[in-house]
Amino acid sequence: MTGQTTTHALDPITVEVIGAALSSIVEETGEALVRASYSTNIKERRDCSTALFDRQGRTLCQAEHIPIHLGSFLDFIPMLLADHDEKDLRPGDVFVGNDAYRGGGTHLPDIVLAEPIFVDDQLVAWTVNLAHHSDFVDRAHAHIYQEGLRIPPVRLYKAGELQKDIQELILLNCQVPRERLSDLRAQMAANRVGVQRFQELCARHGADVVLASGEALLDYAERKMRAGIAALPDGSWRFEDVFDNLDFDDPIPFAVTVTVAGDELSLAFEAPDQIRAPINMTRTALLATVYYIVKSVIDPTVLPNAGLARPISVDAPHGSILNCKHPAAVNGRVQTCQRVADLILGALAQAVPERVSACTNSTCSVAVFSGTRQSGPDAGTYWVYLETIGGGGGARPHADGLDGIHVHATNTSNLPVEALEGEYPLILERYELVDGSGGAGKHRGGMGLRRVYRATEDCMVHVDVSRNKSRSWGLQGGGEGGHGSYVTSPDCDPFERGYGTLRAGEWLEVITPGGGGYGTPQEDSETPIAAE
Amino acid sequence: MMDGSQGITPAGTWRVGVDSGGTFTDVCLFDEASGRIEVWKVSSTPDDPSRGIAQGVEEGMKEHADGAESDPAAAIAYLGHGTTVATNALITHRGAKVGLLTTEGFRDLLEIGRQKRPDLYDLFADKPQTLVPRELRFELPERMLRTGEIDTPLDEEAVRKAARALKEAGVEAVAICFLYAFVNPVHEQAARRIVEEEMPGVFLCASHEIAPEFREFERLSTATVNSYLGPIMHRYISRLTPRLQDLGLPVAPHLTQSNGGVVRFEAAAQTPVRAVLSGPSTGVVAAQAIGARAGFEDIITFDVGGTSSDVALMAGGETAQTNESVVHGYPIKAPMLDIHTVGAGGGSIASIDSGGLLKVGPESAGADPGPVCYGRGATDPTVTDANIVLQILNPVEILGGRMKVRRDLAVEAIAKLGERLGMETMDVAQGIISVVTANMAKAIRVISVQRGHDPRNYALMAFGGAGPLHAVRLAQELGMTTVIVPRSPGILCAMGLLLTDLRADFSATKLTALEPGNVGTIAETVASVEAEATGWFDAEEIADDKRRLTRRIDMRYDGQNYELSIPLPEGPVTEAMLATLKQGFTEAHERLYGFAVPEERILCVTFRAEAMGLVQKAELPERELGDPDPSAAVIGSREVWYPETGGFTETALYAREKLAPGMAFAGPAIVEQMDTTTLIPPGVRATVDKIDNLILELSA
Repeated sequence: MTGQTTTHALDPITVEVIGAALSSIVEETGEALVRASYSTNIKERRDCSTALFDRQGRTLCQAEHIPIHLGSFLDFIPMLLADHDEKDLRPGDVFVGNDAYRGGGTHLPDIVLAEPIFVDDQLVAWTVNLAHHSDFVDRAHAHIYQEGLRIPPVRLYKAGELQKDIQELILLNCQVPRERLSDLRAQMAANRVGVQRFQELCARHGADVVLASGEALLDYAERKMRAGIAALPDGSWRFEDVFDNLDFDDPIPFAVTVTVAGDELSLAFEAPDQIRAPINMTRTALLATVYYIVKSVIDPTVLPNAGLARPISVDAPHGSILNCKHPAAVNGRVQTCQRVADLILGALAQAVPERVSACTNSTCSVAVFSGTRQSGPDAGTYWVYLETIGGGGGARPHADGLDGIHVHATNTSNLPVEALEGEYPLILERYELVDGSGGAGKHRGGMGLRRVYRATEDCMVHVDVSRNKSRSWGLQGGGEGGHGSYVTSPDCDPFERGYGTLRAGEWLEVITPGGGGYGTPQEDSETPIAAE
Repeated sequence: MMDGSQGITPAGTWRVGVDSGGTFTDVCLFDEASGRIEVWKVSSTPDDPSRGIAQGVEEGMKEHADGAESDPAAAIAYLGHGTTVATNALITHRGAKVGLLTTEGFRDLLEIGRQKRPDLYDLFADKPQTLVPRELRFELPERMLRTGEIDTPLDEEAVRKAARALKEAGVEAVAICFLYAFVNPVHEQAARRIVEEEMPGVFLCASHEIAPEFREFERLSTATVNSYLGPIMHRYISRLTPRLQDLGLPVAPHLTQSNGGVVRFEAAAQTPVRAVLSGPSTGVVAAQAIGARAGFEDIITFDVGGTSSDVALMAGGETAQTNESVVHGYPIKAPMLDIHTVGAGGGSIASIDSGGLLKVGPESAGADPGPVCYGRGATDPTVTDANIVLQILNPVEILGGRMKVRRDLAVEAIAKLGERLGMETMDVAQGIISVVTANMAKAIRVISVQRGHDPRNYALMAFGGAGPLHAVRLAQELGMTTVIVPRSPGILCAMGLLLTDLRADFSATKLTALEPGNVGTIAETVASVEAEATGWFDAEEIADDKRRLTRRIDMRYDGQNYELSIPLPEGPVTEAMLATLKQGFTEAHERLYGFAVPEERILCVTFRAEAMGLVQKAELPERELGDPDPSAAVIGSREVWYPETGGFTETALYAREKLAPGMAFAGPAIVEQMDTTTLIPPGVRATVDKIDNLILELSA
């Protein structure tokens, strides 16, 4: 059967319909995951992603959720296939994994579930999803062994049969096992939808047509990406910035050189050796970040599949912070990703200033609360609440930066107050924009956010803010954004490097950085910005 | 004439639907006594749409109803109205000046939203404009806890001060949204009372009234949009009501809601946020009824007016409905049909962009001055002008001869565009059609391919004044092979008003575990929502045998945040019924997610009542299929320019009213009728079915 109708059926409309169907499948699986889940991080904050992969593990389609999650997806299937013979795969097998060095992951809380899809006994594709489990908290981060349970790709289900021993092993290592179990069930539900929908699509069009269309879509993304790169001027641009947060004292220098040659783009990074702190990035995290920002600047409409990566090459010293090796700690890698995305913007700003924004708040501010419930029906159980807080967007050539949003590699929702306070012993006292935090400019940088939490029971806290020493840069004469910081109530014991304790009644205020401005503030509004 | 008591049937036999769009006001008249359906169309009067509406009703009744000369509205038994006034105000940001009162510390929530950026990859995407500027958002000391217990009492003096400041600032409407108002509304109620005292007559909306459900941002957004549109809708209705009364209308007029149902004007004035899709929803209702009669279950509706096109997808005869949606960038919690709108219509203006490319829309010439060919001074050519130049539209007069047009002016305007593009006039005219067709195709892709439906498996039902003009071109673009043009496409929305039931939805959020011990609480909450529905039935004077009530409870496992809506069987709430509900939920969960967890606690979250008042609907008359020979319907011919031939081709003209069931003919052909023109290009076959639909078949 296969192969016969392929050329006949592969008109552009068929390819477009199948491409859109793939994207609607990953959106629908994502929706199932969110709706069936239990933890606030997934059901409200939507810190999860879904994707379809071809048999070899190349991305066919990633849902428009969280760009950094592509990092966990990139190597998952290849690593799985390195450990497990394809011949042994059966319908209903489900693999679980999270490890940064053996499981394709970028940090341990991101747990991936992958299920092979079979049509007529043939492996045709994979449905894969990732959920950020709010667990493995209140730990040290000198190396990955301190950061949580490492899981290589192993079967959680074998031909539809739950491997209880594996599940028990995982749950015993989790701080909130009930939530983990429920979220894993939601991940299973999402994969079930993915398998079913993909099989329906194959039944409608023929598996060969679907797979050939998938191939055509990779080529299409590559063509669009090449056309976009070719439209940039040829040349080489270097940009440097520093990374600072509460984990260490001296800001760390990073640099990138972006080179455009015809329809190809290469990026060469400079970074110090990996350190005993959770800010190291695996190579997949770096790639996911690069693909995200290059697509954003070159052509946001390029399909998010593996084809777009073909004209892009990335080089970073192995063993450095930006391309770490075992056993570097990686839990807070998203902070570094954010800085890398802006670093690339800074280089491209020299080539095409009219196509980029000034530096965003360049971070993903995090607050983690955990403790043992002291009252209510669940008294005595452990609770963990993780949230990420947006900041200012960079000012654009035509407009101010967006206020209080998530930028770059992440894009999670906030947790509604009316959902937060029902789940955790916390009260949110303020949630507002920080006046004056956006960099000055003809167009102002976006404002950062302020969130004030009051504890109603004692809890452990970890705050991860960046730009606490440096500031986000402006473009074309625009000013710098405000710092990230935090404040605790006066009676509170002082926090150390963002770690501390809140007793009932004490409060914590987190302030996130603003974005850089664009254009000098006094510039005549009629004058075009782009250098002619 | 009407004393308001139940059960009194007005003497009239005419049911009238009025759809007021940006360009035309359509009136559909149905005589229950004779089964006649008549249509009437007048130009809209955008400065005060009520003039056009009253004029349309008056003229339509005088034209068609016996003895309506002196007292035109006396014979009307029902009047339904759909309007785009709410959606237009939201799109163009011409709503009221609104002030907001909210919980201390949360003034910026309206701007922050859910903190996600508007587009994952596009660095230049912008958030929708915030409807209340920061200086008109006031924080008040007050705080409710999640239990409904008061943490900080409302500072009533601060409310008074804020109200005075808002009055000073000249706001026309006030939105009030406090945390947990859906659990305990006393603070919102107190604030409302004080604002009423300080600002008598101001439009007020408290969040617990319009969307008593959890998630503060979405509730806040709904209350804000409602306030933003309130004064606009209020003004609109208060102008329209006396005009209709002056005509001697003996019944209470009704307005369509986004869910396709209708409610009384007084109710509609309080909840404009539920009418943002008022205009297009009735077209979808009508298309559904017509499709069912014509034997088509899978339909994409294509409603083209002067300024925009509305599209919806109907699979298996059903249009998807939602209780929460983002409309023009704003989250709205209200029941609505799943309709997508794009700014492409007959009045869309053609221009050349900075890159030298031809663009069409979204700017529209509207009703006044209208297209260049109306001769009212406009100089920017529109899609209508292109159709006049190509002679697809009658180049001398339109609207069944009621409006003269100036082709020479349209040619001149398009020739000017051609000079700048370095192109021939006719090629530019056809180019305008191609560009607007591509824009319309994008809208169809959003509701079909982007949701995994192949448009080639659907029939395209074209209506609105300009739908049938563009339908075949659009179908060609999308590879669709069947186009349905109903008998009166120009007034389908108005006709839908005669095919829809009275409808209102009520809800209350009360987190209650689905356990035998809670049977009392659950019964109470169900009863309270039911009581609201009964109140509505009474207010609408719906007879007992015409009342339909569907009760549902949205439920989830304790720990989840998204509910599944489970229907409640009829009868009193008992322990046995709770067991039935549990089984219904478990099955639904298993079906949707592939698993259920019997030992987990199930929570009832939102209690809903969908109230429907059945009305007698217009019957579409059916005729026997007759002779296929269409020559009796030919009224002449004219030269029409086709891209297929790159020149003018002599084309037969058919009068729609002379076409009879069974007739069949092939393109090139043009079918003219008062409310629209249908283009049948070369190679397309047309037949007329039993209910006078034109069915166009394209080769695949």
